Amino acid sequence: MAWRSAVVASTILSVGLAATASHAADKVTLTFANWADAEGATRPGIQAVIAAFEKENPDIQIKSEAISFSEIARQLVLRVRSGNPPDVAEIAGNDTMLLAQTGKLEPLDGHIDAATKAALKPSSIEGLSDKGKLIAFPWTQAPAGLWYDKAVMQKAGLDPENPPKTIDELMKDLAAIKKSQPDVIPLGLDTTNRAFSLISNWPWMKAFGADPFVENGATSDAMKSYLSWMRDLAKKGYIDPGRKIGEFRPLIAQDKVAFLWDQVLLQGVIQSTNKMTDDDFNKHYGVTTQPAGASGKSYSFEGGHQLVMFSDGKHKEAAWKFIRYLATSPYAIEHYTLSYEASLTPLEKAPTDALAKKLDTPVFNAFSEKIMPTVTAVPYGPKFAPGATAIMAGVQQAVTGDTPIDEIAASIQQNLGN
Amino acid sequence: MNTKATSVPTGVRRISAGRIVKYAAIALALFWSLAPVYWMLATSFKTELEATRIDPTPIPVEPTLANYIGLGGQSLPFFAFFFNSVISCLATAIIAVIIATPAAYSLSRARFRLRGPISYSVLLFRMLPLVVMLAPLYLLLLNARLLDSLAGLVVGFTTFGLPFAVWMMKSFIDAVPIEVEEAARIDGYPRWQILLRVVTPLILPGLLTTGTFVFMEAWNNLIYPITFMTTMDKQTLPAALVLTFTGQFKTDWGGMMAASTVTTVPLMIAFFAVQRSMVRGLTSGAVAGA
Amino acid sequence: MTAAAAQRSTKAAPARKNAERVPWIDWMVLPTVGVLAVVIGYPVIYTLVLSTTKYNMLDMVPPRYIGGGNYEHLISDPIFWTSLRNTVVYTFGSVIVSSLLGLALALLTESLTGWRFRSVRALLLTPWAVPFVVVAFLFRYMYLQNGGVINAVLLDVGLIDKPVLWLNNSALALPAIMAANIWAMMPFFFLLLSAALAAIPNEVIESARIDKAGTWSMVFHIKLPFLKSALFISSLLMIISNFNDFAKIWAMTQGGPGYSTTTLVIYVYWLAFENFDFGYASAIGVVWLVLLLVFALVYLRAIRMNP
Repeated sequence: MAWRSAVVASTILSVGLAATASHAADKVTLTFANWADAEGATRPGIQAVIAAFEKENPDIQIKSEAISFSEIARQLVLRVRSGNPPDVAEIAGNDTMLLAQTGKLEPLDGHIDAATKAALKPSSIEGLSDKGKLIAFPWTQAPAGLWYDKAVMQKAGLDPENPPKTIDELMKDLAAIKKSQPDVIPLGLDTTNRAFSLISNWPWMKAFGADPFVENGATSDAMKSYLSWMRDLAKKGYIDPGRKIGEFRPLIAQDKVAFLWDQVLLQGVIQSTNKMTDDDFNKHYGVTTQPAGASGKSYSFEGGHQLVMFSDGKHKEAAWKFIRYLATSPYAIEHYTLSYEASLTPLEKAPTDALAKKLDTPVFNAFSEKIMPTVTAVPYGPKFAPGATAIMAGVQQAVTGDTPIDEIAASIQQNLGN
Repeated sequence: MNTKATSVPTGVRRISAGRIVKYAAIALALFWSLAPVYWMLATSFKTELEATRIDPTPIPVEPTLANYIGLGGQSLPFFAFFFNSVISCLATAIIAVIIATPAAYSLSRARFRLRGPISYSVLLFRMLPLVVMLAPLYLLLLNARLLDSLAGLVVGFTTFGLPFAVWMMKSFIDAVPIEVEEAARIDGYPRWQILLRVVTPLILPGLLTTGTFVFMEAWNNLIYPITFMTTMDKQTLPAALVLTFTGQFKTDWGGMMAASTVTTVPLMIAFFAVQRSMVRGLTSGAVAGA
Repeated sequence: MTAAAAQRSTKAAPARKNAERVPWIDWMVLPTVGVLAVVIGYPVIYTLVLSTTKYNMLDMVPPRYIGGGNYEHLISDPIFWTSLRNTVVYTFGSVIVSSLLGLALALLTESLTGWRFRSVRALLLTPWAVPFVVVAFLFRYMYLQNGGVINAVLLDVGLIDKPVLWLNNSALALPAIMAANIWAMMPFFFLLLSAALAAIPNEVIESARIDKAGTWSMVFHIKLPFLKSALFISSLLMIISNFNDFAKIWAMTQGGPGYSTTTLVIYVYWLAFENFDFGYASAIGVVWLVLLLVFALVYLRAIRMNP
C-alpha cells in the first residue's frame, strides 16, 4: 500500500501547491475528447467523475467534447492536422496506433510518477508504446470471453456448469442448441466489416493458427481452415452473419443467444435490459475462456480504452493529472470503470478494500484470473485498418456466399497486397 | 376489393374490370408506401425487449413512451441536433435561392456571349460528386476557420444547392412570358421595378419549390456534417442518428425509431403545407419543358 | 398559370429578339459565378493537383509529386472496378424502376379528383419526407435476419422456409438497398409527373377525346410525349443525387458484405477519411469526374437544352 500513501501525499502536495499558486485564480481549461459522454449508457458516469475531479482541483476546468466511438479517430487526426487537438482524448484499439502515426502524441514517460507506474499491471502498458516511448495510458481493460446462457444450455440437455472447452465440444453444443431451440442464435460473433470486428475475431483466427498479416498468411492452410469453419457455422445456422456485437446483447438478455463472444460490459447491458438482480444474473449466465483449437490454447483480445495527450497541448501538467485521476483514483474506478464502463482497472490491486469487495464477483474474477492471461496482441499499425477491411470482406464472403474458400483466400491476399 | 357499394343516385355506375385493377394498384401502392412508416411508428412505442424480439409483434404489446422521453435531453441533446439541422438547411435554402434567382433571370433573359457556357457549367457543377470535393473543401474551411461551425456547413451545403437552384429557377423564369414584362416596360416602369413587382410574384411558387428541393437535399446530407463538424453538440440530425445510436454498447432500435419519427413528422407536416404551391410551381415551370 | 403553360406547350420560346440590352442584367450572374468558383472551382483544381501526388494525411509530410502513379494503381485496382460497376447498377437500376413506378402511379391517380386525389397523393408522398438516414436504419431494421419484420412475414406466409440474409448476402445486399432507395425516391417521380400531367393543356386532351382515342393510345400518343421532358429532367436530378448517395449505403452496410455494395462514393470516402490517402482518393475522384462529364454531355445532347 506504499503507493497509496504516495498518491495521497502527491495529491496533498499538489493541492497545497495549487492553493499557493492559485492566488491569481487563473483556471486552466482542459478539453477532453471522448465517446463516454456521447453515449447515453456512460454519459452520467463520466460527468460525475469530471465533476468530482473539478471539485478536487478547483484550478482546473474540464470541457468534455462528446464524439462518437466510430468517428473519434478520424476527428482527432483531422484536428491534429489542423493544429487544434484537445488536451486529453479517449482512444482504443488500432486507433491509438493510427493517431500515434501522426507523431503528435505526447510521450508519457516524463509525466508518469514511480508510484503510479509501480501500481500498474505490467501487462496493461504492453503495446502502448511507439518508437520506445509510452504514448497512451491504460484507462480500462476489457478482454473478451465466451459468455454462456445457462437456461438455454439446460433446455438443450447440456450441463450448464460445464461450458465447452474445445472447438469440437463447442460444435457439439451448438448442434444440440440448434436442434432443441431453432429460434435461438447458438453463437454470437461480430461479422461486420469494421476494424473492431477483426479485433474481435482475431483470437478465433489464432485458435486455428492463422495470421493473415504475415507473408502469404491469407492463403495459408490455417487461414483457410478458419474460413471453412466460419462457413460451416453459417451453413448450419449457428451464427447470425452481419450483426454487430451490440445487436446480440439485448438478445442474450432474452435467452435468444446461447454463447456470446463478448467483453466484461455485457453483464451491465444484460441487467439493464432484463432488470435481473446480481444473484439471478450469476445463476443464469456465466463466462469462461475461449474454447481451445488444435493448439490446445485459448486466446482473447484486450479491448480496453486508453487516454492520450497531445504534444501541441498547452496544459500538459493538468492534462496528466486528469489522466491519472480517471484511470487510477478510487472515485473514478468505483463510479466509472466498474459501474458504467463495467471493465477491469489497469491496477495490480484494488486501491481500497471497498473496491476489492466490489471486484469480487464471479464475472470479474473469471475475467481477471482466467481470461486476462489468454490475451494475445493484435498487430496494430498503419496497415491494420485497410487490412481489416480486406480480411473481414473475405470473412463475410465466406459466411454469406458460395465462393470457393481458396478463391476467397486468394482475393484477401490480393487486397492485402493493395 | 370485389364490388364497391355504389350509392350513385343517377343511373347505374358500371364497375369495369379495369377500374378494379386500377383501385387495387393504388391500394397496393399505398400499402407499399405506408407500411414501413407504420413500422417505424410501431417500433418507436415498443420496449427494448419487444423491439429486439425474434418474432416481431405487429402492434406494440405493452406500448411505452419511454423511447420518446429518452429523447428529451437526459442523455443526448436531441433537440439541439434538430435545431442545428433546421437552421443550417433553412439558411442554405434561403441563401441559395437569393443568390441563384438573379443569375437565373440573367441566364434566361440576357444575351451576353458567355451565357451558354455558364449555363452548361452550372449544370455540370451540379453533377460533381460531393465526395470528391470533400478533402479540398475540408482544407478550404480549415483555412477560413469555418470548420465545426454551422456557417461552414452552410458553405458546404451551398456547393450542391446553388447550381441546382440556378438551374431550376431558370426553368421557372423561362416559363414567364416575356410579353408580361414588355407590357410593363411600355407603361414606363423602370426595369428594377418590373423585376420586383411583376416578375417576382409570378415566380413565387417556383421560389418555394426550389427552396424546398434545396432544403430537402441539405436535410438528407450526411457526408458533410460527419466530416466538417467535430463537436457532437453541433451535429445535424442525420449525422447524430448515425453517430449516437450505433454506440459501443448496443443498437437501440426503439430509441432510434423514436428519433426517426420525431425527425420525419415535422418534415411531413411542412411538406403537406407547401405541397399545393409546389405542384402549382412545378406545373407552371420546371416540368413543362426546358 | 395554365395559360402560360398552354403558351409554352406550343413550343414558343420566349421572344428575346426585341428585348433591349441592359448591362446590369448581364452582370446579375456574377454572384453565382463567384461563389461557385470559390466553393467548387477551387476544390476541383485542388483535386486535380492532389491526384498526381502521394499524400497521406497521417504522415505529417507535404504531398509528394508522383505523376501518374495513382492512375497506374487505379487501372489494376479491382475494388475500383467493382465500385464503378456497383455505382452504375445502383444508380440506373433505382432510377429506372422508380421512374416507371412513379409514372404508372401518376397516370393511375390522374382521374381521382378533389379531396380523394389530394389525400391519396399526400399519403403516396410520405416516403419522400423520410430522411435518407432514417430510411436506411428503418430498412436495416426490417431486413434483420432474426427479428426483422420482412423475414417474419415471409415465413408466416410460407414464401420462404428459412430467414433470408437480405443485407448480409453479397448477391442480395445491393438489390436490398436499391429497394429501400426506390421506396424513398418514387414519390419524387410521382410528384413531378403528376404536375406534368396536370400541365397538359385541356384542349389537347379534349380534341383527342373527340377523335375517340382509346385509353392506351391516349397514354402513348398524347400524354407520354408531353411527359418526356419532365421524365428527362426528373431522372437527371435523381441520377445526380444517386451518384452522390452516401447516407443510405453507409448507414445500411458501409459497403459490405465484402465489396458488394461499395460504390464510388463509399470507396472514395473510405480511402480519404479512413485511410487518409488523399492522393489516391483524389485520382479516383478525377477519373469519376471525367466519366460524369462524358455522361453529362451525352445526356444534354439528348435533352437538347436550348443553346
